[in-house]
Amino acid sequence: MKKVLKNPGVQAFVASIICIILGLLIGYIVLLFINPEGAAESIINVIKNFLTWNRANKKLQQFGNTLAKTMPLLMCSLSILFAYKVGLFNIGAAGQYVAGSCACLYAALAWGWGWLPCMIFALAAGAVLGAIVGFLKSRCNVNEVISGIMLNWISLYLANTILTKVKETASPYTMYIKDVNPSALLPNAGLDKFFNNNQYITIAVPLALIIAIAVYILLSKTKLGYELKATGSNKNAAKYAGMAENRNIILTLIISGALAGLGASMLYLTGYMRWECTQSSVPGMGFNGIAAAFLGGLNPIGAIFSSFFIQHITDGGQYVNTNFYSSQISDLISSVIIYLCGFVLFIKLTMNKMIARSEEKKARAIKSAASQGGDK
Amino acid sequence: MEQYAVEMLHITKRFPGIIANDDITLQLKKGEIHALLGENGAGKSTLMSVLFGLYQPEEGIIKKDGVEVKINNPNDANALGIGMVHQHFKLVECFTVLDNIIMGVEPNKMGFLQKKEAREKVMALSEKYGLHVDPDAKIEDITVGMQQRTEILKMLYRDNEILIFDEPTAVLTPQEITELMQIMKNLAAEGKSILFISHKLNEIMEVADRCSVLRKGRYIGTVNTKDTTIEQLSAMMVGRNVNFHVEKKPAHPGDVVLDIENMTVASKVHKNNAVKNVSLKVRAGEIVCIAGIDGNGQSEFVYGLSGLEPLVSGKITLLGKDITKTSIRQKSILGISHIPEDRHKHGLVLDYSLEDNLVLQTYFNPEFTSGAGFLRRKNIREYANRLIEEYDVRSGQGAVTTARAMSGGNQQKAIIAREIDKAPELLIAVQPTRGLDVGAIEFIHKQLVAQRDAGKAVLLVSLELDEVMDVPDRILVMYEGEIVGELDPKKTTQEELGLYMAGAKRDEVKA
Amino acid sequence: MLLLIQYTLIFSSVLVLVALGGCISEHSGVINLGLEGIMVIGALGGALMMRYLGTSNAFIMVLLVMLAAIVFGMLYSSLLGVACINFKADQTLVGTALNLLGTAAATVFVKAINTAANPDDHSSEIEYVRARKMFIVNINGFEFNWFMLVAVIAVIVVAVMLYKTKFGLRLMACGEHPQAADSVGINVYKMRWAGVLISGALGGLGGICYILAGVSLWKFENGVAGFGFLALAVMIFGQWKPYRIALAALLFGLFRALSNTYVGFPALAALNLPGNVYNMMPYIVSLIVLAFTSKTSRAPKAEGIPYDKGSR
Repeated sequence: MKKVLKNPGVQAFVASIICIILGLLIGYIVLLFINPEGAAESIINVIKNFLTWNRANKKLQQFGNTLAKTMPLLMCSLSILFAYKVGLFNIGAAGQYVAGSCACLYAALAWGWGWLPCMIFALAAGAVLGAIVGFLKSRCNVNEVISGIMLNWISLYLANTILTKVKETASPYTMYIKDVNPSALLPNAGLDKFFNNNQYITIAVPLALIIAIAVYILLSKTKLGYELKATGSNKNAAKYAGMAENRNIILTLIISGALAGLGASMLYLTGYMRWECTQSSVPGMGFNGIAAAFLGGLNPIGAIFSSFFIQHITDGGQYVNTNFYSSQISDLISSVIIYLCGFVLFIKLTMNKMIARSEEKKARAIKSAASQGGDK
Repeated sequence: MEQYAVEMLHITKRFPGIIANDDITLQLKKGEIHALLGENGAGKSTLMSVLFGLYQPEEGIIKKDGVEVKINNPNDANALGIGMVHQHFKLVECFTVLDNIIMGVEPNKMGFLQKKEAREKVMALSEKYGLHVDPDAKIEDITVGMQQRTEILKMLYRDNEILIFDEPTAVLTPQEITELMQIMKNLAAEGKSILFISHKLNEIMEVADRCSVLRKGRYIGTVNTKDTTIEQLSAMMVGRNVNFHVEKKPAHPGDVVLDIENMTVASKVHKNNAVKNVSLKVRAGEIVCIAGIDGNGQSEFVYGLSGLEPLVSGKITLLGKDITKTSIRQKSILGISHIPEDRHKHGLVLDYSLEDNLVLQTYFNPEFTSGAGFLRRKNIREYANRLIEEYDVRSGQGAVTTARAMSGGNQQKAIIAREIDKAPELLIAVQPTRGLDVGAIEFIHKQLVAQRDAGKAVLLVSLELDEVMDVPDRILVMYEGEIVGELDPKKTTQEELGLYMAGAKRDEVKA
Repeated sequence: MLLLIQYTLIFSSVLVLVALGGCISEHSGVINLGLEGIMVIGALGGALMMRYLGTSNAFIMVLLVMLAAIVFGMLYSSLLGVACINFKADQTLVGTALNLLGTAAATVFVKAINTAANPDDHSSEIEYVRARKMFIVNINGFEFNWFMLVAVIAVIVVAVMLYKTKFGLRLMACGEHPQAADSVGINVYKMRWAGVLISGALGGLGGICYILAGVSLWKFENGVAGFGFLALAVMIFGQWKPYRIALAALLFGLFRALSNTYVGFPALAALNLPGNVYNMMPYIVSLIVLAFTSKTSRAPKAEGIPYDKGSR
């Protein structure tokens, strides 16, 4: 048991579970304060999400919806954890996601591109934004958090301006891709059949999972991963060992931005959502990506599960009793979880301390038993 | 009965796995200078941390003026009149000297600072003890010696009676050291009691009245310096008679390996150049040492040579090939190995395992990386295990131990293994023995001499006078960024070396 | 033109207050990236006070609303304090969490009280037409807002506090070299807590000031549109020095004001640029400014590094 608990992977998992439980508990307490009557039912509905439905078909269908939205979130969390492993906090993932959204929607709606070029264009847009952050960081010493935040807002207003050209006349939303240019929709490749013909289940799902695994391999098995992590852990040592530190910073943020930009295309090219050209805040996907990255223990494989969980409860928000509560309760819960992730280091330290203490006790007991034996 | 200012009686302090202080007794008389001698890791700093209230001992008591006291934190220590000049100064760089002195005990009215009052008191103290400072200068702009005087004034401003000096001479020029010795004597004459922590025997013999010795956490004994010799003290410190002299055969210098012409490197801290027009040559089969007081451009010289900092001007040639503009990676491949000054800053990725650190300079070789860019983990492990065995690098879990979890000496051994095993033409070793115990120092000196005897060029940068006198075949003294003298270690004396290091003497050197 | 000056001054006031908050927190050694969230919660506190306080005495109204914003801001910032000072959490992560939590919590809360008051009302809006008038003195068409005065006072008070008092000296020591501060008996944790709480108070004030700047109704789902982040840029541009922060805030305030008033300037209106361009301006300007100033930045040396008594 103790041996299992010593494993850092297990510790990360336990810490994440503690964060989730506490986050849900706090959400429940908030609901209790607002109105004790429906609180229990509502929090259970948040946790159940699509399982709230009775019919199996409907369940599958809604499961598909959550899954479709998990993929962009997974991409954002990969973007953040990748940069974080290299010692960079890419809070600009939110803006890179916006840039990706803008690029793929405009290419699809205005230029009539097919889905693959649209996707690559989104990837490139995110990468360019990441490159700007990386360039400012390595050449001008601008903190990547600050420049990332500035670019988030710049890209939001830029996207609003550009996408206004392809919006419906009557509403603030962009036109439907399926009406204007169905070739830009991601192919289902038969996957929709498994989810009660949910049209939003596309090749994006396997693609994102493959990318998660690829990121894992890149970080842990390759020369590039070795160099990037060394740069993140000690950039002076990296420079001393002849690694191109500035190039690594820029490269990392380009990859990170590309992941976020690609993630955007995995949502908007399914047709699940449209862009609202008057929105005044940066979409939360990039920020939720932070939650997923940390909740997943900064491990690409962990991020798959944590992304699904975050999306799961975010969607679950719509099943609260709206007579009393608002669906933003899920946002509240996930932001509480991010906050609690700040304590993960402390939780792990405490676990290690407890293990060390009990081991020492045991060692001492053995020692004293031995010396007593000797006395006789 | 003798009156003691402070007594630490039978102090025992344990940390998980080790006993840092094992039944140690230290008695400080009023008005004496009492040296505390011991190697790194002997338990000196732990003992002082106990006296300063940073740690609580498991056993033992502390008495002040014969009365038992409890010291739970530095505030308690301050209240008892105990002050300390830390080895690494505790000064806020962007504050003025005056602000640093009054910090924590600021004279104020309703919270508003009354600096005029403070300035008068500081100036009076500075005059009384001959501690010259400029109260309005910022710490980042003044010399190390003046920073140390600021620290001393900090203690005096608080009317401390018991003054602890933790390795105070490590950063000073010989002349500044003489000055400090005089200041310490003045302070003792005025009735202050001084604890002087050091491992430099000459200084202890010169300034201290008595000396207590620690070894491996144990108390060895206390002697009057009048009645003892350096040899006796050193035997007490290390537990055996140490051969201070490095055994080596005469050198047979061969061809020029490294040729530096007119190298100039900019400074990061001030506007002048840190290295000015330095030219030197290192031949195969010789050890050349760059000596000097810390902060005279040696670090920047090595940064410029290794490529960590760009050159303002100059030319570097390695084995006849111009490498002035060559990248760090290429220099490494061409045969330069570099044992860096700061092993935590440059030498290691502390979060990486030992094996990953051992391939830090070679991970990209086909032996360790496949053509597709994947690491060959099996080869890395085998290679690491070989180095660990050959260089006797000890760690908890072998090759997979995190570098952070290793002792300083073994971290340094790992770096030396990595750099020497690369079979370099030129080995640059910057303060390779800093902070290590005698055993590790001997090992490293032997390795340097072995490289020399194998026909490699070795460039040693050192601040330790003993090392400078013993290890190299030639000494070049650097002062304010210039080479001011070339000395033959067999013919020169420490005194002569000191004059060059302090800038009091200089030759026109054509190295 | 008058309108432009008025908007410039009021937006500058917001930025000054929040940036000073960030400045004090960073001088104590804690990066407060959660200012955006603190502003929202401060605004919530003030808005609630305006909604429920039935006084017609302008003085009491102004005072109590400010007080409510300060208290809310401080309470909320203590979340940052607990995590980053006592539990040594990653300051960027926690700051981000506070930003998200601020908007989410305010929305949930306001919706709950709106729904409780009227079961059909699911909006996240609070309206304060009457109360807002009490903050404003109309001088020949120029709407003087009491917050402009508060901002000026704040600059002076913060400058005096940092450079002339015992507290300021100790605070800055904790941000520059906490080990040194600790060695002379200064409680680093306490000073950092003070820094964080003061930044919470100023952030809260900035928040209420922001929602009172131009409108009489606030939709809490919208947060404060990145103003907390803009304030951080102002702080960096001002090199962590109060007077320079004030000048930087005026500059940034001007750009922000232009986006509200450019229609009134024939020359600008003739350019026929989309309104979004003006919204973008402050962020673009700050990015460019940061690119040119960050090389020589004089940020407190120990900021962002959790202080651990054990590691010395």
